[in-house]
Amino acid sequence: MGKEGTPQITKRTTRSSSSTADSSNAIATKTVNAPRPPSIISDLTFGEEPMSLDALLSSFPGRRLQVLELLQLIGPLNSPMFPLFIYGGASTGKSSVVLQVFKHLNRPFVYSSCRTCYSPRILFESMLNQLLLHRRNAGNGYSSMKRCERPADFVNFLREALTDVVNNLKEPIKKASSKELLKPGHGRMIYLIFDHLELIQEWDKSSGIILLLFNLFDILKMSEVGLIFISNVSPDAYYSNTGHVEPIPVYFPDYTEDNLCQIFMRNQANPKLFSSFLDVVLRPFCRMTRRVDELSAAFPLLFKKYCEPLSDLGLAPTEDMKRKLFSHLQPHIAPSLNEIFRVQYESRVDVKAKEKVRRKGNIRKLGIEDALDEIDFHMSISAKYLLISAFLASRNPATLDAALFDSMGGSDNRKRKRKASQTSMEKKENTENELLMRGPGTFPLERLLAIFQCLTSVGEGSLEEGQREDGGVMAEDGDVGLMSDVLLQLSTLCNANFIMKGGTCPLEGSTRYRSTVSEEMALKVARSLRFPLSKYLYRR
Amino acid sequence: MEGDNPAQRAIALLRRRLCNPNYIFSLLSDSPDSNYSKLKFIISNSVTETCNNSILLLGPRGCGKIAVLELVLKDLQVEHPDMISVVRLNGLLHSDDTCALKEIARQLCLEHQLLFSKMASSDDNAQFMIAMLRECGLAHKTIIIVLDEFDLFTQGKQRLLYSLLDAMQSVTSQAVVIGVSCRLDADQLLEKRVRSRFSHRKLLFLPPSNRDVQRLLEDILLLPTDSKFPNDYVTEFNARLHNILGDQQFIEILTTLSNTDPSVNYLLRFIFQAVCYMDLETGFLSLENFKNAISSIQRQPKIESLQDCSVLELYILVCMRRQEVKEQTSYNFNSVMKEYKSIHDSFQTSDYYAHNVCLRAFEHLLQRELICFTDNRVHSQSVEFRPVKLLISAQELHQGLKLNCSCPVILQKLMDRES
Repeated sequence: MGKEGTPQITKRTTRSSSSTADSSNAIATKTVNAPRPPSIISDLTFGEEPMSLDALLSSFPGRRLQVLELLQLIGPLNSPMFPLFIYGGASTGKSSVVLQVFKHLNRPFVYSSCRTCYSPRILFESMLNQLLLHRRNAGNGYSSMKRCERPADFVNFLREALTDVVNNLKEPIKKASSKELLKPGHGRMIYLIFDHLELIQEWDKSSGIILLLFNLFDILKMSEVGLIFISNVSPDAYYSNTGHVEPIPVYFPDYTEDNLCQIFMRNQANPKLFSSFLDVVLRPFCRMTRRVDELSAAFPLLFKKYCEPLSDLGLAPTEDMKRKLFSHLQPHIAPSLNEIFRVQYESRVDVKAKEKVRRKGNIRKLGIEDALDEIDFHMSISAKYLLISAFLASRNPATLDAALFDSMGGSDNRKRKRKASQTSMEKKENTENELLMRGPGTFPLERLLAIFQCLTSVGEGSLEEGQREDGGVMAEDGDVGLMSDVLLQLSTLCNANFIMKGGTCPLEGSTRYRSTVSEEMALKVARSLRFPLSKYLYRR
Repeated sequence: MEGDNPAQRAIALLRRRLCNPNYIFSLLSDSPDSNYSKLKFIISNSVTETCNNSILLLGPRGCGKIAVLELVLKDLQVEHPDMISVVRLNGLLHSDDTCALKEIARQLCLEHQLLFSKMASSDDNAQFMIAMLRECGLAHKTIIIVLDEFDLFTQGKQRLLYSLLDAMQSVTSQAVVIGVSCRLDADQLLEKRVRSRFSHRKLLFLPPSNRDVQRLLEDILLLPTDSKFPNDYVTEFNARLHNILGDQQFIEILTTLSNTDPSVNYLLRFIFQAVCYMDLETGFLSLENFKNAISSIQRQPKIESLQDCSVLELYILVCMRRQEVKEQTSYNFNSVMKEYKSIHDSFQTSDYYAHNVCLRAFEHLLQRELICFTDNRVHSQSVEFRPVKLLISAQELHQGLKLNCSCPVILQKLMDRES
């Protein structure tokens, strides 16, 4: 169901126009029969019928002020402008509003996102390719028009390309030829849009590129060029030593609850039913997040739940029915609140991809959280044991290994240790904090293998309790064959990010490992093995 | 081709004026002791008397160093045609020596209709530059080399500066090196061997005085009476503008503006915004436009993003603040969660969410740049364990909580208790 309404559609135009404009592709297919030199106007504008202002405003609920302000700042035809800096939280419609504004204005622009252009060179070349109407294809070996790595070259090429484009834009006005004049003019301005500016900071530590972009207006000294920067973070994140003249800020605030309601109500088959659903659901969810992308991932499933008791989805709900539906849905709300961030597997691919990008560095962590719910995946017994032993090695201090894993079993020792550590509450609190701060500890491979050996012996002992009280003997003959496998398993677990390969120990020079598994997950794995993990866990 | 509406044409005219630095600074440079006259005197002297020279133009950003220089160069090129060739470098682009030499060679080739070879080595380019300096000196032609962001050229070995200034020591060459920088100590950054070859002429560019600002405003905003605008529209427009300029509120706005940043550029951006906000229906500037402009140019991004935070995110922020009050030297997500749980335990709030939901909210805060990690080692640990810190002060948090209409009362109480 089309829950997302416009955001979905506009996002798609955002993406497509970022990858060398699908409007230009459409033109390319048209021109196959009658080849003609590519025209700047058709290539750099959206190339369709311009959007009316009303359509523009109505397609962005809650963004009326921002759209109007943008239109004012960009100004009437042929009026120069200072660089703009558009900022606001994620999924507040910055990119799509800007692009749709240009669709409305029907003026030539060039759009490059620093997300797809992930290095200075790619960013520069993508800008130049679009300006020079160059499309990478199999014919030219997917190469760019100009090879340009240094900012100095970029500025030179850009100036050349821009003067060309601007001169071309001036021509049709002078010539008064054919159709071009009949249409409302495109003006002589060309606009460069840089999206996702905050990502530049990640790949450009010396902040040279950021400074270059902010100073581009002064460097180019071309009044026909309008610059628009779009960023997730506020302008104060870009302060630098040398400073720069700040662009004019335009702020996109997060959507309010009412805005969200309007957004989700778009394109609904049964608006009455859905609005009664939103009445129930939107408020609790808004306390957690107001981001459209996250909410729109969570709502479809809940709505399905909400509709379950209904036989006919076209009905307008009565008060009585609403109450019934609410009582049906209520038990599902609380758990789904805590599940909001799970990526739905049946959901659209691009949402998933986007979420993944969002999570970037944290993907490792969340990946584990996701896996927690589907722990029944196929993992061999020894891999599970290895996971547990890695977990223990990370959590327990190395000095206690002997005490925990000696032949007598752990329980007595644990009690003794605990008593000793309970000397003072304060000390305990301190160590607890320390543990929270430090995270899982690192361990060398040898220790992991030793613990693993002990565990497998005990585990198998507990599985077949009757016969094997003295597991030590069994471990020795049972695990000889296992050892080579274990190393393989270990590398698999490393690849799956359950175990991290840390830095090498400065003294020993051997690689150290760290387990990233949470306690819940370790307990779950242990339960599946019927292994008494809590008995071995050292608690301070 | 422009709208028939006089208001629209007026906006277009004003915007064109504002975005043209040459226009703005020609307004400021008519007096005899202005930087314009001084600079022009120095450069034209060295052009006519065929001598070498070097000057530093210093001053805060946005005070028109480059704009005035461009004006001077334009005028000189008219006065002494074919005697000047200008090479422009920018520290942001050409701080690398090889790159700078290449760019100098390229611009010289372009200027003198020579063939520029992309493959030339940096040594070739350096020799070419020196040869060109000599040739031009023999032809009594002055090469003016403008080094924008001069301080960036002083990073590294300063080979470019040295070879340039060293070449200028000979009698045959004839060049002017003009360094432009917003660092007032730019000449102190030079190496000894470079400094000794540099003539220590400095021109200081200062932000405009109040009287200049007033004059600038009038010159920019008043419409010309002799143009294609309807006569009554112009008189009405100008009369209203004079009213605004004399208004006490407007003068206050100007003072707050110059308190933040007195530079011309900042002023221009402010006027630009006000002009953009002009109502096309009435077609006149109003005081309201200027008020809107000042509120949108002076933003408080942290407070704004605090207002955008969801309730859960506010909880996390308050928990972090409480950690700081407790004088925890460093804390991470896990310790924040402990605090969050303790708040929940003692007050039984309705907003208690699962660990991973909080983690996502925590990441939102990181994205909003309200908090950040204290270590920069990227892959050392998972997010939960990396130490973090708040990027907002207690006052900002307090203010943000008050302004956020969905903020629960309990959080405000918790914050009040601390202060």
